[in-house]
Amino acid sequence: MILRFLLPRIFSAVVAALLSCLIVFMMMRSVPGDIVGQMLGQTSDPTAALALRGFFGLDQPLHTQFLDWLSHLLQGDLGTSWYQGKPVTQLIAEAFSVTFEVALLTLLIATMVGVPLGVLSGIYEGSRLDAAIQSFNLIGLSAPIFWVGLMLLVGTSALVGWSPPFAYSSLSENFKENLEIVLLPVLSLAFLQAGAYSHFVRECMVSELRRDYIRAAVAKGLKPSHIYFKHALRNILIPLVTFMGLILIQILGGTVVIESLFSLPGLGRLILSGIQGRDYPVVQGALLFVVVIAICINFLVDLMYVWIDPRMRP
Amino acid sequence: MYLSVWIKRFSTFFVAGALATAAWSQDAGLYGKSDPAARAGGKLTIGSLTEPPALDPYHQAADARIRVTVLAYQGLFYESATGEAIPLLAESYTQSADGLSYTFNLRRGVKFHTGQTMTSADVKYSYDYMRDPKNGSPGAGDLSTIESISAPDDNTVVIKLSRRNGLLPITLTHRYGGVIPKDYFAAADARTKLNQVSVGTGPFKLKQFRQNSVLVFEKFQDYWQKGLPLLDEVTFAFMPNSATMVVAAGNGRIDMGIFTRPQDAEQLTKTAGIKLVRTPAMNQKSIDLGSEHPILKDERVRQAIALAIDKQEVMKASISGYGQVLGTMVAGMQDRWGLPLDQVPNQKVDLARSRKLLVDAGYPNGFEIDLTTIITYDWMDAAAVTISEQLKRVGIRVNIKKVELGVWVRNFQSKQMGFTFNDWPSSPDPSLLYYRHFRADPLGADFRNWKNTEASNLLDRGREESDYAVRKRIYNDFQKLLAQGVPTIMLFSADLLTVERERVRNHQQHPTGWYFGLVKTWLQN
Repeated sequence: MILRFLLPRIFSAVVAALLSCLIVFMMMRSVPGDIVGQMLGQTSDPTAALALRGFFGLDQPLHTQFLDWLSHLLQGDLGTSWYQGKPVTQLIAEAFSVTFEVALLTLLIATMVGVPLGVLSGIYEGSRLDAAIQSFNLIGLSAPIFWVGLMLLVGTSALVGWSPPFAYSSLSENFKENLEIVLLPVLSLAFLQAGAYSHFVRECMVSELRRDYIRAAVAKGLKPSHIYFKHALRNILIPLVTFMGLILIQILGGTVVIESLFSLPGLGRLILSGIQGRDYPVVQGALLFVVVIAICINFLVDLMYVWIDPRMRP
Repeated sequence: MYLSVWIKRFSTFFVAGALATAAWSQDAGLYGKSDPAARAGGKLTIGSLTEPPALDPYHQAADARIRVTVLAYQGLFYESATGEAIPLLAESYTQSADGLSYTFNLRRGVKFHTGQTMTSADVKYSYDYMRDPKNGSPGAGDLSTIESISAPDDNTVVIKLSRRNGLLPITLTHRYGGVIPKDYFAAADARTKLNQVSVGTGPFKLKQFRQNSVLVFEKFQDYWQKGLPLLDEVTFAFMPNSATMVVAAGNGRIDMGIFTRPQDAEQLTKTAGIKLVRTPAMNQKSIDLGSEHPILKDERVRQAIALAIDKQEVMKASISGYGQVLGTMVAGMQDRWGLPLDQVPNQKVDLARSRKLLVDAGYPNGFEIDLTTIITYDWMDAAAVTISEQLKRVGIRVNIKKVELGVWVRNFQSKQMGFTFNDWPSSPDPSLLYYRHFRADPLGADFRNWKNTEASNLLDRGREESDYAVRKRIYNDFQKLLAQGVPTIMLFSADLLTVERERVRNHQQHPTGWYFGLVKTWLQN
């Protein structure tokens, strides 16, 4: 039974990953310019360019380059950064640890703030509280992330004369500095995501509270807290978990703006600088990693469905 | 005979003394002026909007790389703020009468960051590696006239040229390469290892380079100039946007930073304890007019465009006037090499003449043309809009097209530039500034397809000549041709805007924008 659950998912994950390899590879090759052009800049020398192209293997036919990359990939080797000289896996690990920390803290705070707000808003639909929470949601859904981040950065500097450290320190290197540097980016992202959560949960709650079984529960005289949390909230867990998965994927794959604003050496900036410098191994490896993460998150979400709703067990 | 012996001895002593004095005074000028009140010690943090893609001085042409690697790598010469080559790792040199041979006497006791002592074998290896095009160095072109390099003894290097090259000393400076230990690049990972460890002779050595984060240099304890550098450590914090840098500077997270947008630097002048320093630069912002373009191939059209552009207005719109309008020479070299603006043709706005040229060229109703700008080059946005309005007055309708830098570089290298903005890095000599760009094939790249034989001949002569007065005349003539033929319109040099906290003392910003000045910078507690 477990195999019936796992096998189709594993098969589609592998197919998705392989297709992604090809798409990522072709995407990077189709972007005009390459690392040789970046390195030589305005000093263009045809002989030097030829030598560098040979050094990076760019003089090989495309299919040879792809098969070479794929064969290394299947052995767990994502290659070496053409600029940094470090293994791509190491660069991704270092960058992902930054992004993951920000994403996880964002998800925690956004969930802890957004879900209760959404529940309250749904329960007190039409009230002033609901209106206030919906205003909050609207700002969260529509405010651009760079604006929110910038306002927090400039605001804290102007009001309290404080700004985050510029050099990233991991939790193990310097706990205090690490929290200082992630504070504002996490608050910026969490503010927006909390609004999105709250809006989503409110809509689900409002819809759920209008269902017949809720009316029956009310008629039976069940306590309101019992109705809201044991019945209504439980039934919106599945769509909520799906939503959380999507939000997490979005945060992990799209933090480049917030990382740029707060000088965080995360996955987004790694990919961006790789694209700008045409560092093919880094971009291919990092994008593939994001795809794999997305696949894993979707898989986890599927598992959570099964746990939440016994009817979905194979 | 007794008297003649004494006269001879006195003369020798006098000449040696003069040379020693010259060497001392030149040493004193290396890396700027010294401050007698200077104190050693301290750590300086600098905010930087640009990050070097890598720290390999042999294979990376990016100006962002040169700015920082000048702290760790040294050439035989140092480029002064006025663009002269001052002996650095070469203590002195002589040139043969026919100009085809240079003999360099090296400084003794210079150590690499690896601990080895520098000898002539290292110098020979370094420049042989760079000049071999098969090694892929962007500096190979500058050394193409070198026929051979020999090291007759540990402290002497002889360079023989295939033809005269008066600017050889200025090409043995800091733009590309630097002296490294012999056989360094024999290891497979040598190139990328330079991002973790420096192997030069410079006053600072690399401590840490974390991409998208920081670059840290520490004082090289065995540096050959005693008493230097003054700082214990220099940290470059990479900040990809100016808002972050303004906040960091205002709160004291960084001690200094170079801003590209004047409005950002101006915000900080209101903060106590911060000063803004403006330095004329060797950069230049320009518009290129590629002759491969069907409309721009006509010189009259290019002249018409030049006559319709008000450079002062463009500069004001782009950088709030924090710069200098150019004729045909960058601001940092204008005094030494530039023609006075009133002697440069096609500089003053003359709309009537512009319209007449367009009529003569067959465009009585003007024409439509794409003008390319590069994403993230903020100054180009305002400049493009301003120029678009200016050209409208003579009937030229401009479509502004934004492209990514990689696309622009590809167009540039394939000589398909069209009508585009350009942002030139620093080049501390007119030959380095002009030669590759405007000399026709095959000796130059002639990126704008100008194909001007007279200009090419002048550039060849300017490159071969070593006498300043003769070179000045040659480049005066070249600049007139450049202004007449208009393959490029040099708009302005943007001043280097450095914001410094008061505790930063004696920082002398080099007009190239490269961080030479940090060697003699010190910190007040």
